[in-house]
Amino acid sequence: MKIEQEKNISFDALVVGGGIAGGEAALNLANTGFKVLLIEKDLSLGGKMIMLSKVFPTLDCAACITTPKVSEIARHSNITIYTSSEVSSISKIAKDNFEAIVIKKPRYVVIEDCTACQLCEEACPISVSDQYQYNMVGRKAAFIPFSIANPKAAAIDIDNCILCGACEKVCPTNCIDFTQETEEYRVSIKTVILATGFKLFDPVLIPRYGYGVYKNVITSMQMERELAPTRPFNTVLRPGDGKVPDKIAYVLCTGSRDATIGNPICSQICCMYSIKQSQLLMGALPMADVTIYYINIRSFGKGFEEFYQQAKGMGVNFVKGKIGKITETEKGNLILRYEDINEGIVKEEEHDMVILSVGALPNQDASKLFKGEELQLDQHKFIYQSDLLGSPSKTSIEGVFVAGTASGPMDIPDSILSAGSASSEAISYLIQNK
Amino acid sequence: MEVEKGKTAKYLRDKREVSQDLKDNLKIFNKIKKEILEALKEGDLTIDQLTQKLNIPKHEVVYYLMSLIKYGFVQTGEVDDMDEYFSYKLKK
Ligand SMILES: Cc1cc2nc3c(=O)[nH]c(=O)nc-3n(C[C@H](O)[C@H](O)[C@H](O)COP(=O)(O)OP(=O)(O)OC[C@H]3O[C@@H](n4cnc5c(N)ncnc54)[C@H](O)[C@@H]3O)c2cc1C
Ligand code: SF4
Repeated sequence: MKIEQEKNISFDALVVGGGIAGGEAALNLANTGFKVLLIEKDLSLGGKMIMLSKVFPTLDCAACITTPKVSEIARHSNITIYTSSEVSSISKIAKDNFEAIVIKKPRYVVIEDCTACQLCEEACPISVSDQYQYNMVGRKAAFIPFSIANPKAAAIDIDNCILCGACEKVCPTNCIDFTQETEEYRVSIKTVILATGFKLFDPVLIPRYGYGVYKNVITSMQMERELAPTRPFNTVLRPGDGKVPDKIAYVLCTGSRDATIGNPICSQICCMYSIKQSQLLMGALPMADVTIYYINIRSFGKGFEEFYQQAKGMGVNFVKGKIGKITETEKGNLILRYEDINEGIVKEEEHDMVILSVGALPNQDASKLFKGEELQLDQHKFIYQSDLLGSPSKTSIEGVFVAGTASGPMDIPDSILSAGSASSEAISYLIQNK
Repeated sequence: MEVEKGKTAKYLRDKREVSQDLKDNLKIFNKIKKEILEALKEGDLTIDQLTQKLNIPKHEVVYYLMSLIKYGFVQTGEVDDMDEYFSYKLKK
């Protein structure tokens, strides 16, 4: 990797992570006149929220809320955004001054010149799994990440590119540039907001559920994509054989509240997003039966209990049961063997599609960033909140704040509230240290 | 040396080797694409019927067929009487 000459830049605040929490925090700082550098490691802003179908408990379309917000962030004159970028280190060089090293990877496309015409996609001969559709369909090596991506510009997946040059031959604006190199920036900042979000549990780690082996066992994120307007298939289908499912099961707490896989805590969002998806499925497939297997339903937020009752009223079947094992029939159906918790007996039920409601795990990226100071993590490896009740966005390092799910699992409204708290703490810190 | 715009792939080709795996994957994709498009020339087919013609597992047929819909070669046709399986056809 050749690194272009290092560049020096300075901002008031560095926000690491461009999901809904990082975006909101950046916007609040920018609206109060502070200069913000927003670092996102992916090709687009928006984090997980931009990939969702609709959102609980209002059933608003996720894209309709995320897209205007993300474009406001992208257009703001006080916000500089680096996508495909990561912070490699942050050092405190004075009481109120940090220095960060930012690595910007080449996109091989000049974003400003790309009109998103998609001619490069058409010309590219390569087809690989589309990570933005959670591998249910292919994409090209020259590709626009997804239709509501921001920046909406092509990118070259260099690891899968055969360098045939077909994309640049057809590009009307000559925006494809294979001479781009990795760039390194030395950034001076006064405060840092960590908004690196959460990771999804990989259900391969629970082999008895058969994920990856039984093709009609999918994750909740894959179902979000199947339900989104920009979905991988024309309607909700089983990936195993393209059948429209009619007896669907949800397995809640997959990878949560389970000490055996190292995550004893509740992920807080899975009950509600599964109830949301069940309602959307009843709308998309009116003849379908949907059963949710749960240990406890955690409907603690505003409007959540009503949302749960609404799903019951629509005919969603709730079974208090712990899944022991899933097996597959010849037709690709799935037999769920479970303990009926109310009756205390083991039962079996056949379904034709199973959705594993995967939990939220900590993203530990931020803990490795700091040189000379220790960013403490809590016992579950989320970022430690040093004054949880008084100033919940404070971390173990003065001047460094945390926003959204980087500090623990939470839903979108709470992530936005948390970002509000982190940005106001950061603003008052900036003003006090002027 | 300034590299001419629109001709930069060659610049990287000289510096970076393209792996045999990538070339092999491209061959596999082209082969399956050709087989699916050939099969559909004869008329609309369901995934089950396509699987019988192609020598690959059903879930791979779903994956490649859906990719070909996305790339604009194939389109979804009618659903069967049981509302279970769609047929697929070439995009005109
Ligand atoms: C299947 C599913 C359905 C859901 N449905 C709902 C719903 O209906 N309603 C609701 O309220 N909530 C829902 N949620 C929860 C919602 O997704 C989260 O609350 C929200 O996405 C949290 O936002 P965030 O910004 O904290 O984290 P994220 O969305 O995880 O964003 C973090 C961002 O930081 C970036 N990043 C990570 N590490 C680095 C790094 N080292 N450097 C730079 N960038 C980095 C990531 O690429 C990402 O863009 C759902 C979650 C799932 C999994
Ligand atoms: S150069 Fe790479 S990205 Fe461009 S068309 Fe060829 S394979 Fe696709």
